[in-house]
Amino acid sequence: MEREGVIKLVILLSPVLAVLTSVVLGRYPLSPLGVYEAVASWFAPYLVHSPPEVAKVIVVDYRLPRILTAAVVGAALSVSGASLQSMFRNPLVSPYILGVSAGAGFGAALSIAFLPPTVPTELTAFVFAVLAFSLTILIARTSSGEIPTISLVLSGIIVTALFSAALSLVKFVTPDPHKLASIVFWLMGSFAASDWGKLARVTPLVLASAAVLVAMRWRFNVLSLSDEEARALGINPARERLIALCACALATSASVAVAGIIGWVGLMIPHIVRLALGPDNRVVVPYSAVLGATYMVLADDIARCLTTEEIPIGILTTLLGIPLFIYLLKRATAVWR
Amino acid sequence: MEREDRIVIKVADLTYSYRGGIKALKNVSFTIKRGEVVSVVGPNGSGKTTLLKCLLKLLKPQGAVYIDSREIKDISTREIAKIAGYVPQEHHPVFTYRVIDFVALGRAPYHSMFSAPSKEEVSYCLKVLEALGIRELADRAYTTLSGGQAQLVLIARALAQGARILLLDEPTAHLDFSNQVKVLKTIRDIVKEGSVDAAVMTLHDPNQALLFSDKVALLKDGYLVDYGKPEEVLTPDKLSKIYGIELAVLSDGITSAIVPKLQHKN
Repeated sequence: MEREGVIKLVILLSPVLAVLTSVVLGRYPLSPLGVYEAVASWFAPYLVHSPPEVAKVIVVDYRLPRILTAAVVGAALSVSGASLQSMFRNPLVSPYILGVSAGAGFGAALSIAFLPPTVPTELTAFVFAVLAFSLTILIARTSSGEIPTISLVLSGIIVTALFSAALSLVKFVTPDPHKLASIVFWLMGSFAASDWGKLARVTPLVLASAAVLVAMRWRFNVLSLSDEEARALGINPARERLIALCACALATSASVAVAGIIGWVGLMIPHIVRLALGPDNRVVVPYSAVLGATYMVLADDIARCLTTEEIPIGILTTLLGIPLFIYLLKRATAVWR
Repeated sequence: MEREDRIVIKVADLTYSYRGGIKALKNVSFTIKRGEVVSVVGPNGSGKTTLLKCLLKLLKPQGAVYIDSREIKDISTREIAKIAGYVPQEHHPVFTYRVIDFVALGRAPYHSMFSAPSKEEVSYCLKVLEALGIRELADRAYTTLSGGQAQLVLIARALAQGARILLLDEPTAHLDFSNQVKVLKTIRDIVKEGSVDAAVMTLHDPNQALLFSDKVALLKDGYLVDYGKPEEVLTPDKLSKIYGIELAVLSDGITSAIVPKLQHKN
């Protein structure tokens, strides 16, 4: 098999291996056999003799939903990042360029500080993320209905600034220091609060968006031409870009709502895929989704296992991202200029 | 059998104003027949590129453009992309696509948002590269190409569209002398072999128009000053008026050249 085929196979197998390894890892000591017994007893209780209840609770109620949520979020951020980078003709674009992270941050803070606990933080975060994206599009739209790239970038910056200011205001007026701490912790991102319910809510949104983006993967090659060239090829770049933007915003909003703001993943993973497999989006978009899932699962392993206290995953992905990105920057001139 | 003198493009009373009311084209009319290479010549800002964009329906002018007797107002942009291939002056690549993947982008008008070129379409693109004599570039990254190669690859992309008309915006603008000749000769060959019905190209250098075209459209300030055979249109008189400098046409009986008359060299 040639090099490219091997790399593709490794990437495709990586999330499976990552999940199988991660489920064994954790601060509560469980033998690998015990872990797989617990999983098996959950799927088919009559086939294996029942493991201790504590093992079942830890593996099935905590580790599995958390690992799978990390995989879904990692895939969502990476597939969005890959799509946005090609659409914007800019390899330095991250999924947060659309204002969704700031919107989600504000929504979450509002909910934690002032709303009754019956309103889930996840819901307000999602609503404000979508609201922020809509505002970004609304500001960027010209009177003729076009969305020029430069307007979109600037309006994303404007909306991010708006919601960041609003977030600061919420933090400033929050009376309860515990709530303030919760807000700060939420903003740094975490999968600690994952459960099956959240996973069930975020997964369909991410799958639907990712399906649209993956189906459009060749089109992103066309959209990475100038608008004039794209129009001369008979396509309507403004319309198609808007559809893809909505898919990216939906996937990112759902991710941020369940996991908080986790930076650098959506920026970095598509780069690694491009370096390994070339810039063709037919490959970059789907393989970014797969590698993103693996990366997030492994990063979360470090977050929950490295020290006795959890490390917020947003800090971790940034710290992991920076050296990798410096390395990429030094040698990636072969992939973009 | 198709009649050789079939009209491929007809431009009737074309006027285009940019926002702000500046008229870039004023009542331009001409026809292009099958097998013709047409050069659009004129000073900067004379409306050359605007004319090209009107033919592609990238701009919406007053007046009418007919391709194969169909008014382009009635043809969708996607259909136009299957008939007319646009070759931009330059493509600024962001990603280092392989040449074959880049040429395959020309298949976009045949696909919905959610589909991609088939194996057959890719081998068709390889045949296009083969025909242009650049088959060996297929696996190279577009960004590693020389100016001349890049221009040929852009032409290949237009041919991959299945286009029967080539519209080229200053195809020689960024090329050295030998590549200018090579690219223009390739364009002429494509038309003369019948691979496409006609080619329209904007040119800065009237000499290239003189050597490589069947018809010349001479533009000045949005007006079509003259249209016809190169030796009739590109006369010292008309060119001097258009460009505002004294020009002479030198001929040795085989080939001609337009040169400026420079006073200090007397």
